[in-house]
Amino acid sequence: MTVITHNRRKSRLSTLIDQPGGVSAGVALAQAKANLAEMEARSRAVIEEQVAALAALQPAPTLEEAARLLDRAYDHSSAVIDAAGPFELKDLCAAAANLCDLIDAAPEDRPFDWRIVTVHAQALRLLLTLPAEAAEARTQVLASLKDVLKAKAPGGPQSA
Amino acid sequence: MRGMNGVGESLRESAVFNFNGAVTMVIDDSPFALELTAQAVLGFGIKVRHSCSSAAEAIAVLRDHPVDLILVDCEMPGMSGYEFVRWLRRSGLEPNAFAPVIMTAAHVRRSKVSEARDCGANFLITKPFSAGVLLERIVWVARDARAFLEVGDYFGPDRRFRSEPWEGLERRSEEIRKAEFEAQRRASIEL
Repeated sequence: MTVITHNRRKSRLSTLIDQPGGVSAGVALAQAKANLAEMEARSRAVIEEQVAALAALQPAPTLEEAARLLDRAYDHSSAVIDAAGPFELKDLCAAAANLCDLIDAAPEDRPFDWRIVTVHAQALRLLLTLPAEAAEARTQVLASLKDVLKAKAPGGPQSA
Repeated sequence: MRGMNGVGESLRESAVFNFNGAVTMVIDDSPFALELTAQAVLGFGIKVRHSCSSAAEAIAVLRDHPVDLILVDCEMPGMSGYEFVRWLRRSGLEPNAFAPVIMTAAHVRRSKVSEARDCGANFLITKPFSAGVLLERIVWVARDARAFLEVGDYFGPDRRFRSEPWEGLERRSEEIRKAEFEAQRRASIEL
C-alpha cells in the first residue's frame, strides 16, 4: 500500500503555546472550574429534562419504530452524560452510559426489552434525588444496572 | 489516534502556557454541551471564535477562515463528527486540513470505534471528563509533532506511537521536554 508522508509541520497552536505570557495550569483550571460552577444549576435542570424525556418514551409496536425510539433513548442518555460530565456526577454518567451500552448492543432483528429503558430512567431519577451522603444506596443502584448489562449484553464493554 | 490514557504526562500546576490568540472552533449540536466546552476552555485563556451547531456550519466557516484548534462532538445529526474530520483532512484547505482536532464523545457506539480511529483526528476524549483532562489534551495536541500520513483511505496524524528508546543523542524537543519534566517530577518526590 502506498504511504504518502507529509512533512512534519508545526501548527500555529504549537507556536502560540510557548509565547511569553499566558497562565499557569493551576490558574487555568481554577478559572475553568469557576466558569463551569456558574453552569451547575442549569446542568441539573438539563439532566432532569433529559431524564423526564427518557421516562416518557413508550415502547413501539414495530421494529422500525422501535429503532427510532431507541435512538432517541440513546440521545437522551448521551445528553445526560454531556451535562453531568463536568460536575463529577459520576454515578449519573455511569447509569446513562450503561443504558447507552445496552442500546448499542441490542440486536436489530429482535424486539428490545423496553423495561431496560424504564429501569434506567427510574434509576436516574433516584440518583438525582438521593442525598450526596447516600453513597451505599448509589452504589447499589449502579450495581443493579450493571447486572442488567451483564444479563442482556454479555461480553459488552462494561459487563466484565 | 491516541486514547484517554495515552498521554503519559500530567500537567504540573506551575506549567505555563499561552493560548491567547488561538483561533478556536467548537462544533456541537447540543447548545448546552457547546457552552460547557466554551466555558471550560475560556478558563484556559482560549476564547472560542467559531461556535457551530453542525458540521455544515463549520465547513462554511473553514473554507474562509484559518483555525488553530477544533473541538468537535462525535455524534451529530446530519454529518457526524467522524465524517466531518474525514472531510477536513481531505479538504485541501491550507492550513485547516492539518489543524489539531480533538473529538469529544459521551459514548462511542461499537460500530463507530474504527471510524473514531480512522477518521484522522488527533485525539478522542470520552466523557465524563474533567477540565484538567481537557486542558491536558489541548496541551498535548499543541505539542503533537507527528507527521501526517496518507495511507489508503486514511489521512491524518501518524497513528503509530513508538515507545522504543532512541539509542543515539536525543534531539527531539518534545522528548527532551518530557525527560526534563520526568526528572523534575522525580526530584520533587524525593524532596
